[in-house]
Amino acid sequence: MAKRKIMLIDDDPDLVRALRLRLRANNFDIVTASDGYSAIAMAQKEHPDLIILDLGLPVGDGFVVLERLQKNNALSGIPVIVLSARDPQDNEARALRTGAAAFFQKPADNEELMNVIRVSLPEGQPAASRLS
Amino acid sequence: MSDHTTRVLLIEDNPGDADLVRLRMVENQPEVRVECVPRLADALDSLNRETPSLVLLDLNLPDSRGADTFRRIRERAPDVPIVVLSGQDDEALALKAVHLGVQDYLVKGEYSSKHLERAMRYAMGRQSLVRALDMARKQQLEFKNQFLSHVSHELRTPLTCIHQYVTLLLDGLAGPLAPDQADHLKTVLKSVNQLHAMIRDLLEATRAESGKLRVDLRCIALSPLIEQAVAMMRPAAQAKQIGLEIGMDCRIPLVFADPDRIMEVLINLLDNAIKFTPAEGAITVRTYLQEAEPEVAYVSVSDTGRGISPEAKRLIFDRLYQDPDAVDNNRSGLGLGLYICRELIKRHQGNLTVASELSQGSTFTFSVQAYSLAKLLGPVITHQNALRPSFVLVQVNLKPMASPPLGNWPETRELCLDTLRRCVYLDKDLVLPPAGSPGAAETFFVVASTDLESAGIMTTRIYEQLAKMCDLATKASVSITTTAITPAPTPDQTLDDQVKAVADSVNEQILKILGKANR
Repeated sequence: MAKRKIMLIDDDPDLVRALRLRLRANNFDIVTASDGYSAIAMAQKEHPDLIILDLGLPVGDGFVVLERLQKNNALSGIPVIVLSARDPQDNEARALRTGAAAFFQKPADNEELMNVIRVSLPEGQPAASRLS
Repeated sequence: MSDHTTRVLLIEDNPGDADLVRLRMVENQPEVRVECVPRLADALDSLNRETPSLVLLDLNLPDSRGADTFRRIRERAPDVPIVVLSGQDDEALALKAVHLGVQDYLVKGEYSSKHLERAMRYAMGRQSLVRALDMARKQQLEFKNQFLSHVSHELRTPLTCIHQYVTLLLDGLAGPLAPDQADHLKTVLKSVNQLHAMIRDLLEATRAESGKLRVDLRCIALSPLIEQAVAMMRPAAQAKQIGLEIGMDCRIPLVFADPDRIMEVLINLLDNAIKFTPAEGAITVRTYLQEAEPEVAYVSVSDTGRGISPEAKRLIFDRLYQDPDAVDNNRSGLGLGLYICRELIKRHQGNLTVASELSQGSTFTFSVQAYSLAKLLGPVITHQNALRPSFVLVQVNLKPMASPPLGNWPETRELCLDTLRRCVYLDKDLVLPPAGSPGAAETFFVVASTDLESAGIMTTRIYEQLAKMCDLATKASVSITTTAITPAPTPDQTLDDQVKAVADSVNEQILKILGKANR
């Protein structure tokens, strides 16, 4: 079965490297973006099955990315998990209202994160293969 | 009126004394305008209309006496300086008022116009200093809060990176590890987790200080929470060969509390008890009621540890207090745990206290408000001074499609609760506040003044209305069950007792349902 593709949007290259390793070990394909602007272009090009999104990003923060994803018909169906160091008390409700499927504060429990990734993924074939 | 005019509100019931003050005042201070009122009620009216530069106050008025007069004026005009005019025989009262926050006092018959002018000037000067100090303190607090919240956010970023790489190595995702290496990494992970807890505490303490600690009060049963907390801490107690017992009072009612926060407090108290109790010791968690206040539930955590000295007892709930004799002092935390616990309990309108004897042990006790169903139910289950004939408990279960639930589950729950409220008759049915832990599945309860047959109509209405709720079907499945509530009221019972009997049956039923859900 074709692998599911996860897009990681985070500006901390060290963290991205570690998460990539972990997600690959869990049998996912990974694409990454490190700022708000390239994230949208990358999502349009790669058609990921799920997005993990940091909130503090250069060139349009995570909320801007979330809004633009929701407004784009081709991308609005992709589940987004927010993974941020920001205080959930101030940000969780806003992220969920803006369309995120879940909110995790960094550092997140790996097992819980993997669990939420699994239940968030839409059933069926990977998004990219459905399009091609 | 020019900006330099000093407007004085003179509150004095004796016309002679009032005239004298007026006279003294204008002798030296032509720019003063005086309004004189004889009673507290008039003074409060005047303060509602306009804020004076100063209040001259006789404490004993026809409609208010003593320190209470000052308190009422202060309440209405917290920023206005007050000078008390005291009789020769009640100087002690004037002094007491100064301790309570009056700027100064003058004894009638013993002051000149110069004294009066100076007392007024100083009072206004002092009051503006107090205001400036207060403002500076608030700004400082706000700055500190912003700073700490920023710092804890920034600390999380590198911490996340360490956490991610350590777990990566430990999970063998970067190749196999020698046993020693795995051991060392586990020590790193333990320290990372401690650091994480400290950052969390720092932010919580900051929130507590600025009144932003959030609690989500619900109707919950205490005993499942206590059992869960004890089960979580049992391994740590067993590792030190400490006995861990529960003594539950079966009369404990449902309480109005935030289950996550109460859990946090219980874990903190149990963790401390285990830390400070030697091997072979014992820890007991008890719940109890006190006859004098049946609407308060108490939970205590007692240990047979080395106890707390009287000096330490006074400081133990302060921020950053750490036991100087603790063996693992350098690794135990920031000394914020008990401070946060006490603040959390305060947000529940309760209190956290400690009783302790050196080398005998300590007991930490907290209180939470009982959830008084009778008070809520009274207006809807009675009609024209009599109990309505029949009652049904409607239980609406909302189960999310995914576990853990996706999307804005809290909002979905709120919308369902709103929908329920629209499905009932407000004068004879009651949608109870959310009950149980706000976990994935949610159970809402409605007490309906109806029989089982008619409750079926309500059930259908609820199903229909929930079905209309925007894409609920994709998020959750709904099931509704109804149970007749059959209290056995005796004819000689008062109406209040009859209401209480219904409330007790409802409580019992809910406890049964929640108990099952928790197993």
